[in-house]
Amino acid sequence: MIELQGVSKIFPNGVRALNNISLKINRGDFVFLVGPSGSGKSTFLRMLFREDRPTEGKILIDGKDITTMPESRIPYLRRNLGIVLQDFQLLKRRTVAENVAFGLRVIGTSESVINNKVQEALEQVGLSHKRRMYPTELSGGEQQRVCIARAIVNNPLILITDEPTGNLDPMISQEIMQLFLNINKSGTTVIVATHNDGIVRKLRKRVVALVEGQIVKDEEHGTYAYE
Amino acid sequence: MSYSNLKFFIVEALTNMRKSGVMAFITISTIAISLILMGTFLLATMNMEGFLAQMQSEALVTAYLKKDATLDSANTLYLRLTSLEEIENVKVISPEDAANELFTNPDDKKLLQIGLDNNENPLPFTIRIKIKNTESLEKILKKLKNEPLVDSVNYGEDLYKQLEGMSKLLWIVSLIVVILLGLASLFIVYNTVRLTLFMRREEIIIMKLVGATNWFVRGPFVVEGFLEGLLASTMSVVVLLLSYNFILTKLAELIPFFNSTITVEQLFKLSIKLFMMGIVLGVSGSLISLRDINKFSRSTALYEGI
Ligand SMILES: Nc1ncnc2c1ncn2[C@@H]1O[C@H](COP(=O)(O)OP(=O)(O)OP(=O)(O)O)[C@@H](O)[C@H]1O
Ligand SMILES: [Mg+2]
Repeated sequence: MIELQGVSKIFPNGVRALNNISLKINRGDFVFLVGPSGSGKSTFLRMLFREDRPTEGKILIDGKDITTMPESRIPYLRRNLGIVLQDFQLLKRRTVAENVAFGLRVIGTSESVINNKVQEALEQVGLSHKRRMYPTELSGGEQQRVCIARAIVNNPLILITDEPTGNLDPMISQEIMQLFLNINKSGTTVIVATHNDGIVRKLRKRVVALVEGQIVKDEEHGTYAYE
Repeated sequence: MSYSNLKFFIVEALTNMRKSGVMAFITISTIAISLILMGTFLLATMNMEGFLAQMQSEALVTAYLKKDATLDSANTLYLRLTSLEEIENVKVISPEDAANELFTNPDDKKLLQIGLDNNENPLPFTIRIKIKNTESLEKILKKLKNEPLVDSVNYGEDLYKQLEGMSKLLWIVSLIVVILLGLASLFIVYNTVRLTLFMRREEIIIMKLVGATNWFVRGPFVVEGFLEGLLASTMSVVVLLLSYNFILTKLAELIPFFNSTITVEQLFKLSIKLFMMGIVLGVSGSLISLRDINKFSRSTALYEGI
């Protein structure tokens, strides 16, 4: 369902963040993307939701080349994706429930559907009792879970998460990973970029390792090591 | 656009106006001030035009009869002219009266006789005609010139043309004023929206990330522009009409028989124009600032700085 064909990204300043990457990810896969800082993980993920375009190569999602997709189609591409970025991006002047609802509201969902789905997503991340609180009243882990709830609220085909457990304690990291596994079980393709070697080692899922923008390892039941 | 979208836009617009009240205030007062100035200019022009039209319609046509015209023949012509529907009134002035009008001092009247042997009055019979409206001027002039008894016709051509030119100039000046004020306020609105856009970029990024179209992102801003334009034009119309009314009452006290030529209907039309202008300024100011919305909507924009 996701296919990269010879993808390279060279930034205007000359940095080659991705170097001739070819990769296939099937529907329902669970993929860890590992690699040292600056190896190109975030850049890789940004290409998947067309935040940026590769300098060379093609990216196909469900057979459609998203690198040449017109700008006007991108919103519809993103409605099938759940995106959690490296730094939490919650709106501080909206409650937890409003933050989660945002993803549905902007695509014109009716109020009654929104209420049900928000409740469902918050229950999944275990935060429905804090729905009326503001992000600043939550811990870092809780904020991260709100971001995840927002990403999964419209049942995306693909969940793309960048360092979802960065700065979180091991317990919460475990919980979040369990959440991803559950979502994955329901058929959603999950891609997780992470530095959390403990979790990668434990879950034994597919691991793609990047070093200096190149794939150095792609194992079906991999570990964290990329050297 | 669905009902829930519109509701979202309105709620967002109102929330934003409340949260960044200073920005909304700047936008509203900018539009209101320029609308008041525009309205003042338009009112002045309309008044001037009404006044000119009145002067034009009151312009008298004077026909000088030939030297051999008698009181009888002048009266016959008088009767024929009064029967014309384009003419409001006609007055025959005898040479005697004409002389009296020219010279209030009886001694001066002797000047007329210089070079003449008897007590003869050299002035001809004169007919003064007031026409109902300026459109029929040409027709009346032609008719008079064809009268065998009429020697020459005078209708204050120069004044008429001058007034017409003045009226045109006034319109051009007020048009330029309206355009310049419009551009100036558009520029200010553009910049305030730009600033709010920058302050709300985090929100825009998230909207785009969860799949909002560019039009959806623009929605609340456009609604906000609309509401601000509406508010500003309401304010300016109220201020304008109240102060116009005040000035009229003051003028009526100062000048007896003073009468504005502007009708209620004209004032209503002017108000509608101001409303439309306010809304157009608010909405287009927003739209122009939002044309490159993509610049604000990349998640990396936060780090890159826009
Ligand atoms: N907008 C940009 N312009 C220029 N260079 C960039 C840009 N974004 C990223 N880079 C460079 O591309 C390389 C890969 O960056 P990327 O953010 O993808 O790394 P990463 O693997 O996500 O690192 P981390 O684990 O620290 O998040 C880095 O060398 C970085 O400096
Ligand atoms: Mg990264």
